[in-house]
Amino acid sequence: MTFDLKQTRLPGVGVKYGFTTASGSRVTVIQHNDGDRDVYVHRRASDDDPAVVLELADDEARQLGALLGGAYERPRIVEELEMALGELSIEWTPVPETSPWIGRTLADCAFRVRAGVTVIAILRDPEPVSGAQPDDVIKQGDTLVVVGKAGQVRDFRRLLTAGPDESA
Amino acid sequence: MTLAELSVTIALLGVLGLVAGRFGLSAIPAYLLAGIILGPNEPKFLSLVQPSEVTAFVAEVGLIFLLFFLGLEFSVERLVRSGRHVGLGGALDLLVNAGLGALVGVAAFGFSFAAIVLAACIYVSSSAIAVKALIDFRRLADDETDLVLAILLFEDIAIAAVLGFVATGGGGLGETARVSATALLFVFASLAASRWLGPAIGRLLSRLELEFFLLAVFGFVVGMSALAKQLDLSDAVGALMAGIVLSDSGVREEIEQRFFALRDVFGALFFFAFALTIDVAKIGEVGWIVLLAVIVTFVGKTGVGFLAGGLGRLTARQSLNAGAALVAHGEFTVILAQLAAGNLALTVSQRGDIAAFAGLYVLATATLGVVFMKESKVLGRRLFSVRVVD
Repeated sequence: MTFDLKQTRLPGVGVKYGFTTASGSRVTVIQHNDGDRDVYVHRRASDDDPAVVLELADDEARQLGALLGGAYERPRIVEELEMALGELSIEWTPVPETSPWIGRTLADCAFRVRAGVTVIAILRDPEPVSGAQPDDVIKQGDTLVVVGKAGQVRDFRRLLTAGPDESA
Repeated sequence: MTLAELSVTIALLGVLGLVAGRFGLSAIPAYLLAGIILGPNEPKFLSLVQPSEVTAFVAEVGLIFLLFFLGLEFSVERLVRSGRHVGLGGALDLLVNAGLGALVGVAAFGFSFAAIVLAACIYVSSSAIAVKALIDFRRLADDETDLVLAILLFEDIAIAAVLGFVATGGGGLGETARVSATALLFVFASLAASRWLGPAIGRLLSRLELEFFLLAVFGFVVGMSALAKQLDLSDAVGALMAGIVLSDSGVREEIEQRFFALRDVFGALFFFAFALTIDVAKIGEVGWIVLLAVIVTFVGKTGVGFLAGGLGRLTARQSLNAGAALVAHGEFTVILAQLAAGNLALTVSQRGDIAAFAGLYVLATATLGVVFMKESKVLGRRLFSVRVVD
């Protein structure tokens, strides 16, 4: 699907981006010079007045953008991939800040033995680790990409938060 | 001005500003009204504050801050980027509304320098009021808003040129030419400084501790204003150029954040102090000029909305919205009148007339204009039948 993203400069205010959705609504994002963002939604493209105006501060706008962009959920393409995997699933699992595993290598963690899941990649800034090796160390702020059965992944999440002793 | 008077002044500014805000109006007419009420001229029931050296000084500082901030927003690079869109609508607006303004000016003062000042006062709409209303009325997403903002930008540039000579020009042809030439030189020197010295000044400033950062910026602004005054230009031009020099310096945002509060306080006091000199009793003399100018403004600005809107393929309703957004006049009209009030080439009665005119005219357009703008969509739906496009 392609659509036109129209960009216009608003002198003294900021920049305006707009497009029309497949269902006919007009969405406009105003990026103010001071960093705030407004989102205007006209239910139909020809409407005079917006149905909704959302005023967002910089951090709120980023949060919303991340949500819409799928940063917190599995992207669609992954869902399709999972169908091919059958009962296995790929999960994006953020490492909790208080996780006892931070600072330890994957070999040391031995998640495969403890929970049955395999860590296939580590997402981190600035450079993600695509083929995770046993000697890779888990760091603060990492997101682990793991493969396992649904129940195993659930165990793994608990393990990641609690540490080796409390999980069965 | 004593502290007691100052406290009454600030309280009244606050109250009237709040009331204006409740009605969706800009605070500018509210500040003017406060000055008219408390000032020594009619109405006299609450004449608490006399114009004095103190109020004149406060007004000067307020003027400097208003123009400094305008300059900060005025980066050369941004100007070049938006240049293409700004041209046509802005040129039409200049032609129509400066032209109509000049007619009113000549009708009021004959062929004179005062007529030019009046033309400029009537030509330039209020960016502050229009932008605030566009945000308040949730119109930033509308197509016609692009046109409105482009025209306002053009006006800001055009009026920056007028500021150069309005305070000191008009003496004789030779004198006015000399002032204009100095102004031009000063502007080019500042633009060059912005281009080549801006980043260096920015680096220097960003290394200072906060306290000294504030003092250095403040000193620079006041210094530029004083320099401009020494050169027989107005302090307004100096402050504007100080803003432009710092606009590309990389510390612009920090300056804006740190000085917003000062600008707002002194800006309010500027409008107040200006209004102290307004004599409402002069309505007998300038009333007809104000009335004529208001009519001309409604016709001229709406007309430009339709002319430029037609060229830009806007619908009739969108064009009406665009024109309505340009009716309100405010900060520039007052600034021009304030600068003219210090120009000795104008006669005392002309200066008084221009001040009274500007005050009443801004009061009228800033309130009526915003109401017109608020209702323009409803009005448009009534006037121009809805064409369903689906």
